[in-house]
Amino acid sequence: MVHELRIGIIGDWDPARSSHVATNDALSHAADALAVALEVSWLPTPALDRPGGIARLEAYDALWCAPGSPYRSMHGALAAIRFARERDWPFIGT
Amino acid sequence: MLGLDDAQHEETSPDATELVISRLACSLVGQQQRVRLVPGARAQQAYGSETAIEAFRCSYGLNPAYRTRLAGGPLVVSGLGTEGEVRIVELSGHRFFLATLYVPQLSSSSEAPHPLLRAYLQAAVAFRLAREQDAAQARRVEQ
Repeated sequence: MVHELRIGIIGDWDPARSSHVATNDALSHAADALAVALEVSWLPTPALDRPGGIARLEAYDALWCAPGSPYRSMHGALAAIRFARERDWPFIGT
Repeated sequence: MLGLDDAQHEETSPDATELVISRLACSLVGQQQRVRLVPGARAQQAYGSETAIEAFRCSYGLNPAYRTRLAGGPLVVSGLGTEGEVRIVELSGHRFFLATLYVPQLSSSSEAPHPLLRAYLQAAVAFRLAREQDAAQARRVEQ
């Protein structure tokens, strides 16, 4: 039994974006169906472009690149996607 | 992806020489579209059928010039639109790496959680368990 699955969402959280709110809601729908508790964190893209930003991604059990182009740091977002690809981390981009 | 470090989205850099995601020829903002799912790929396994209906808001898609570069590479097209447009891509040889050119979370509900997102979380659970087992094994070796 997994205790609090940690999901890291690559994206600049904006409550005015229906796609962002829907991302959080959809995660809880799927988590309920699997009977697993989630800890969801939105990861600001500029921080992913700073030293140590990518290393912090190891704390998450899966990463999600949220809709929300243009990102504040496209470079940060791409670096995080590259991490998921190269390090075989569960990843979804929508 | 595919080592395109300078990958740019047309919205942010319309002049970028390497446009991976570009504007689609037709406007798909707010339309329901059928997605054909490639048999055996992760997306089809998650949906449990060979077609899906999804709502498209984003008017961007994969630049058709990149279709040939994708072929033979690790990136696999696993979902296509009615005219053969790329809708879902996956990385082969990866535990779970999938991207959609639509927003599945918009059609999720508590009564009907989206199958792709359910599959994604299942992959996350499996990964977490594997890492915990690896950590426990490492501790046993140290003792």
